[in-house]
Amino acid sequence: MLLALGLVAASCSDDSNGDGEEAAGGGGGGGSLLDEVRDRGVLRCGVNETVPGFGLVDESGEYSGFDIEFCKVVAAGILGDAEAVEYVSLDTETRFTALDAGDIDVLIRNTTWTSSRDGAENARFLVTTFYDGQGMMVRADSGYGSIADMDGTTICVLSGTTTELNLATAAAQAGIDYEPLTFTEADQIQEAFTAGQCQGWTSDKSQLAGVRSTFPESEGGPEALTILEETFSKEPLGPVVRDGDDEWADAVNWTIIATIQAEEFGITSENVEEMRSSDNLDVLRFLGEPIPTEDGESDAAPFDPGLGLEPDFAVDIVSQVGNYGEIYERTVGPDTPLGLERGLNAQWTDGGLLYAAPYR
Amino acid sequence: MATTTAAGGRPPLWRDVRVLRVAFQVAVLAAVVAFVAYLYDNLQANDVELDFGFLDQQAGFRIAYTDLRPSDTVLDAMLTGLRNTVTVALVGIVLTLVVGTVVGIARLSGNWIVRHVAGAYVEVLRNVPPLLVIVFVNAGALATLPPIQEASRIDGLLVLSVSEIGVVSLRGDGNGWPYLVTLGLAVAAAVAVGVWRTRLEERTGRPARRWLWSGGLVLVVAVVAYLALDGPVVVSRPEVEGLGIRGGNRMGLPFASVLVGLVLYTSSHVAEIVRGSIQAVPRGQTEAADALGLSTGQRLRHVVLPQAFRIATPPIINQCLNLTKNTSLGVAVAFAELMGVTNTVIGNGDPAIPAILVAMGMYLVLSLAISLVANLANHRLRLVER
Amino acid sequence: MTAADVLTEPIGVPEPEPPSRDLTPRQWVRANLFSSPFNSALTVVIGLGAAYVLVRLARWAFVTADWAIVRVNLRLFMVGFFPVDQLWRLWAALYVLVVTSGLAAGALAEAARRVADGDAEPRPALPRRVLAALRRFWPAVVCVGVILSFTRTPGPTVGTVGLVAAGALAGAAGRRLPRRLQRWAWVLPIVGLIGALQVIVAGEGGVGWDRWGGLHLAVAATIAGTALAFPLGLLLALGRRSSLPALRLVSIVYIEAFRAVPLVTLLFLGGYMVGYLFPNTVDPPSFLVRAVIAVTLFEAAYIAEIVRGGLQAVPRGQYEAAQALGLSPVGVMRLVVLPQALRAVIPAMVGQFISLFKDTSLLTIIGFLELIEVTRIVAQQDAFRGQGLRPIALAFVGLVYWAGCSTMSRESRRLERRLGVGER
Repeated sequence: MLLALGLVAASCSDDSNGDGEEAAGGGGGGGSLLDEVRDRGVLRCGVNETVPGFGLVDESGEYSGFDIEFCKVVAAGILGDAEAVEYVSLDTETRFTALDAGDIDVLIRNTTWTSSRDGAENARFLVTTFYDGQGMMVRADSGYGSIADMDGTTICVLSGTTTELNLATAAAQAGIDYEPLTFTEADQIQEAFTAGQCQGWTSDKSQLAGVRSTFPESEGGPEALTILEETFSKEPLGPVVRDGDDEWADAVNWTIIATIQAEEFGITSENVEEMRSSDNLDVLRFLGEPIPTEDGESDAAPFDPGLGLEPDFAVDIVSQVGNYGEIYERTVGPDTPLGLERGLNAQWTDGGLLYAAPYR
Repeated sequence: MATTTAAGGRPPLWRDVRVLRVAFQVAVLAAVVAFVAYLYDNLQANDVELDFGFLDQQAGFRIAYTDLRPSDTVLDAMLTGLRNTVTVALVGIVLTLVVGTVVGIARLSGNWIVRHVAGAYVEVLRNVPPLLVIVFVNAGALATLPPIQEASRIDGLLVLSVSEIGVVSLRGDGNGWPYLVTLGLAVAAAVAVGVWRTRLEERTGRPARRWLWSGGLVLVVAVVAYLALDGPVVVSRPEVEGLGIRGGNRMGLPFASVLVGLVLYTSSHVAEIVRGSIQAVPRGQTEAADALGLSTGQRLRHVVLPQAFRIATPPIINQCLNLTKNTSLGVAVAFAELMGVTNTVIGNGDPAIPAILVAMGMYLVLSLAISLVANLANHRLRLVER
Repeated sequence: MTAADVLTEPIGVPEPEPPSRDLTPRQWVRANLFSSPFNSALTVVIGLGAAYVLVRLARWAFVTADWAIVRVNLRLFMVGFFPVDQLWRLWAALYVLVVTSGLAAGALAEAARRVADGDAEPRPALPRRVLAALRRFWPAVVCVGVILSFTRTPGPTVGTVGLVAAGALAGAAGRRLPRRLQRWAWVLPIVGLIGALQVIVAGEGGVGWDRWGGLHLAVAATIAGTALAFPLGLLLALGRRSSLPALRLVSIVYIEAFRAVPLVTLLFLGGYMVGYLFPNTVDPPSFLVRAVIAVTLFEAAYIAEIVRGGLQAVPRGQYEAAQALGLSPVGVMRLVVLPQALRAVIPAMVGQFISLFKDTSLLTIIGFLELIEVTRIVAQQDAFRGQGLRPIALAFVGLVYWAGCSTMSRESRRLERRLGVGER
């Protein structure tokens, strides 16, 4: 009844608006999501809730994890408040629908960028936050050294994902037969795999590492599991927004890039205030400080690339959330239970793939 | 009707019942058509194509315990899901009817313990969501059953492991089909013989032993044909081999969870129906049967149960339909039934609305087919009984 | 044992009889447990089996199982992500609901007593009444007790005791309401619901339903689904009984189509498609609203069938008598048929309400923070992951559902007896 009343009210207003207006024409009501989110004052972020290191919920209902941090980054960059986020938990099947229907503003949920998703799902993939690859995890005492050894096994995999399709391909190439056991959620696989329902678990290696590192001692701890050397696929994971709203996509994209750029500049949540008076002009421009001109005048307007963001949005992001390196270390890095080395996710200057487009 | 006219002439159009009736119906139909057209327009305006071409594309994934290959089409995949749905529904309905009947009758037992154990079974299972029962069975099995390498077993009958469950089964070898056909003919003949003996009994008034005749016929044919066809049916026993089970009826844990969960839940409802129906037979019937000097068994067989059966049939059909629809909850425990496969298909980037419409169409056909068969049976039953 | 063997036992034993006074315990045991060799065997086998299960269950519940996973996360189970600093709103809403429905119940009971007049037995003394209430609502009492035993502060316990007291006081006050006001008592619960909704969502810091979760969400979705579906179901039922073929056709197609597909498919379709029922000029409804719309469309088909049953139960003579009085077709329905039909379907409607309450568990499949979804989340928390604790969380959820459903179905049976609907 509580809902009912609201619904009745809602449908009444719909009726009055909707009569005879069905030919309203294609496309949304006009303005960018950027303005809408600003008006609303809160970012709706589609996330995972059961993947260690990337998205979990604690007993007081707080979300935490790598993907969650990037929701905060977007909120800090666009709204100036990292906590102005409303998290929406989504399944693999419902994530694109939720995005398409406008239930969420941005999807940050271990989502792999592929051509068909870019093409068919009405989704636009932004800069990759995590370079991953698909791997296979088995019990250490099982003796499997590669997928070619796994003939006749049962393999757990998330349904409706790129990993499921890759598994079929990889198995065919290795010439093995297997029973696929498909789940809609990572936690279901965790339970199934722990209980021995399947001999192999294939997923993104970061997820597997997260599960392995937190594997309960009662089951033998992390040493009881092995992640096979092979990598079956490339899995670039990053935020996704709805197709057709470039203003919004650009704004979100640059909040993410800012975390990478900040790390490259050596700007951290600790030193961001000091860096505002740096003598590096690129840093000043990045942090939205007025750029001193040649003759020493410093009251020129701060740099504004026209993204629709505040000039000092990067300061909000770095001071409230941190740079990419800080986020990484805090959620999935070597000192966390997951213990993931930077690997591909290091700055390009360190041999990784992180390469922020220049901010100018 | 309320339109009595004053001057005896025809009433004005807006008061004429015949006109009003037609006008109202036209308005209703027009509203429905307009609504559908509006929805279609709105979908078009939002670039949602109702295009079913994806059904012919490659599925790309596999489904456990089926022959589906990644190169098969999406339609093949969905039909495979439908087959899983039908399988679990049919096996579930049979088991539910058996368990439900036994529990329902046990609730009326004179034995205090039997009555109360059955009562507890019904009261607990009836009042929790079927989804919870299925998930609980699944989670409980995951927590307690051993991995396949250490499977617990009752030799030759049952193998229990967390990944697979094997149950002893009958399997035809080369002559399996001819034997099955022969048995089918024998049963048909037995029914005919039964009808004939019943008529005879009614005509002559002497007991004609129809069960003896019919049962005997089937038994004799079964034995003779078995010997003649040189052991056409073998008992297939489940054995652990490698990481799987060979022989018997093997099923994955998701299938078993859905099956057990649905049978537990639905049988509690069927038990209530059975109990209610037996109690709904008027007391006078029992008393009349006693007055005729019928024994307890005769009273049940000839007086109480036939009537109770008739009362119980429609609600039990309803429960069978519910069970069929509830197989869609298997999606929560990774059982690849129709809805689960549809989900996978959508997750792989195929258009959502057409995919779900196809799935709904399949469910619709399935439900209508079951209710058609059941209602025909019910109809016949009524004609015979009355 | 076969069905036939059990069947040879006397049929039609009503409710389980306690040892009646004219039997000694020995005789009772003989009659009820060991009346025949077969019965004795049954008693031993089933009795041992039941005892074994009971002991194992009790050991598990009180010794083996570590309920920390529920204790720590109790708030997630009850209210989901409802902000802590706004929890007072829920308590206030509960008080509003309990007081208004207490007043209404008291008034209605008093009105019923007045109708019964001399026949009514005097009300028993207070302790007897408390005992009777405990016996009547024991599943709910047990469940609330278990939940409170998991709380770590005295607040919820105090609040709950206060609720019961407020309800009892409101009931007493309702009995003393002036007669004029008692006639309008049925309005009170509706006012209460609107008031409770306002208390939760209105004003600064109000909590919109997109942030509801856990048991709170399940109850709210059940009430919303039923309340919204009822008018639609009523129309469909009238349509199906109508003499206009087009109307009948539309109603039948709707009812049969929606009854033939599983709710899960509708929930998914709702997620994808309900948004397109609205023109582009309005904001798309939120995910939860779309789900509730899907539930409503589904539920309406079932309610239609229930109401149709009620309409069919009204004797033909009633229609004819009403027509003979010169009532218009609308008048016949509104004044004569519907009041009787709707009264007859109250128990079936309660049954449908229960079944919808159970069906809200399906919201978990499309990702809402429903009770079963909470068990998934908590089983993945760092402290509990990978230890096979989900069955414990599920057992708790099962208790909550069971208590709710079985209390309602007991009340429904009581109502059925009092209304005399089921009687032949």
